[in-house]
Amino acid sequence: MSGGARVLVVEDDPHLAAGLAENLRAEGFTVETLHDGAKALGWFSGASCDLIVLDVMLPGLDGFALCRALRERGTTTPVLFLTARGDPADRIRGLEAGGDDYLAKPFHLKEFLLRVRAILKRWDWYKASSASAASAVLRFGGNEVDFRTFRARSFAGEEQELTEKEAMILKVLAEKPGEIVSREDLLERVWGYDVFPSTRTVDNFILRLRKRFERDPAQPQHFLTVWGVGYRFLIGEQH
Amino acid sequence: MKTSRIFQLTALLLVVVSVVQVGYWLIDLRGQTLVKVESAQRLYAQQLEAARTLLASGVPVGKVEAALPDLTIRSGPAGSEVSVSAGVTRQLAEEQQHRSTQYLWEGGFFLLALCACIAVIWMALRAETEVIREQESFLALVSHQFKTPLASLQLSLETMTLRTLTPEQSRTLIDRMLSDLQRMETMVAQILDGVRLSRGRVDLKREPVPLAGAVGRVVLQYQERAANDRISIETEVPPDLQVLGDPLAVDVVVRNLVENALAAVAPVGGGKIVLSSRRAGADIELTVRDSGVGFRQSDQARLFEKFSRLHPGAGSTYYGTGLGLYIVKRLMQLLGGSVTARSEGLGRGSEFVLTWPSAASLPATEPS
Repeated sequence: MSGGARVLVVEDDPHLAAGLAENLRAEGFTVETLHDGAKALGWFSGASCDLIVLDVMLPGLDGFALCRALRERGTTTPVLFLTARGDPADRIRGLEAGGDDYLAKPFHLKEFLLRVRAILKRWDWYKASSASAASAVLRFGGNEVDFRTFRARSFAGEEQELTEKEAMILKVLAEKPGEIVSREDLLERVWGYDVFPSTRTVDNFILRLRKRFERDPAQPQHFLTVWGVGYRFLIGEQH
Repeated sequence: MKTSRIFQLTALLLVVVSVVQVGYWLIDLRGQTLVKVESAQRLYAQQLEAARTLLASGVPVGKVEAALPDLTIRSGPAGSEVSVSAGVTRQLAEEQQHRSTQYLWEGGFFLLALCACIAVIWMALRAETEVIREQESFLALVSHQFKTPLASLQLSLETMTLRTLTPEQSRTLIDRMLSDLQRMETMVAQILDGVRLSRGRVDLKREPVPLAGAVGRVVLQYQERAANDRISIETEVPPDLQVLGDPLAVDVVVRNLVENALAAVAPVGGGKIVLSSRRAGADIELTVRDSGVGFRQSDQARLFEKFSRLHPGAGSTYYGTGLGLYIVKRLMQLLGGSVTARSEGLGRGSEFVLTWPSAASLPATEPS
């Protein structure tokens, strides 16, 4: 799918936007270009794409705010942030806003293209592995998660909306129930290789999943920590 | 920076003096007052005891009074009553009172001085922290401003390396790279001007500067760029007008306003920039009017602030450092003039008016 994927480039610098669009087109992608954050938000009400390449400093609405607004609307399209600031705090801000990857300016063209393909590949895997009716829904401990709609119902009957990262982590863990999955593995499968400065972020996401799906998040029965290694997911409860 | 350092040293010196003074009081209070009063009290207690013993052993009252003049002996039916005379007690109390009052006043004064010193030190430190913070954010912003044209340059070069391009495509990329370099050059000039101005490191002359000449030089420099973006630049500056200022600074101010006007007109697909000048009493006004994007009334206050970019990029080929109008404002202040801005609103153009003190007019016959 990634070959003919539709990419939206939101970048206020016309030279950079044109250069990115030309290169993405040369790689076989269909490309749309926008220069303004607010206009990009409006664009999504009538259109969709497979990936957003998003500059952070934008007129109208900045990249982080645009990404948050899209996530709040339920748009799960992956986002690759481009920014002139490359410090770790800023990277984390971007990823917490719902971004999938982060590239600091100036960047190498090959690396940019590699990251674009990696994000699309991860999404291809996620979509393919949630395609059949059996793999689309996960049931454990009275919880029910629908990977296609990103919606879940907890053991308490509460309706939940998962972020795409939470859903992807759950998907990776649920692929091998009972087996240990390392933090590095989770990072690579869900985010890519060097997005985060530490594996701590994975821990934060696991905490979020526990809050959503564990009866007692302090005594988890499904999302178990394997000290020093990673996590183990159990469908049935641990006794 | 130097002033704040002097302030800090002075304040520190005062703090040290205050601490030494407080130490001296404590020693003085102990050595001169408390010990003195205590030993006097002990001495009188001994004298009272001695007087009572002497009286009990039958020594006549007169002799005891002569031997111990600070005591008062009252004879009564129940016997003689001995006490320290009222004058001595009063003297002791007065001594103590005098010292206490002295310390209270001196203490109050030093306390005030100490508070003032602490306030000065605190303010100086705050000012210094503010300067450091501003320098850091300046560096961050400067590096940030450079990264976009750098990224664009790198992208163009890597595209040329990675792909087989037609001559037209190569030409486009080369033009793009040249334009990126031009942007960076403008940024460097503006940043250097901005740094010099914000640190006050400018030595401006005050001499008559023919305005038409300055405007003509700047306009000539931008004619080609304006034409490429379908922007016409018109000038209506009488040749005899001379402003009082620094020739280089006048050029910089006019250039920055023309840059600003070009950046405002380009995003709307072309238009007009008019530079006109007139005499206004003892001053000379230069108005730069453009048919560009304009600005909101609410943004007017931010226009001349350092690093404020109301329309960052906005899809145009001009990129501000956010320093242009700040430089204009600072230079106009230093030249003894002023700058004001007005706009009817977004999309309705804008008008910047520079006001300088006027110098004597050039003789009408002299060619400018």
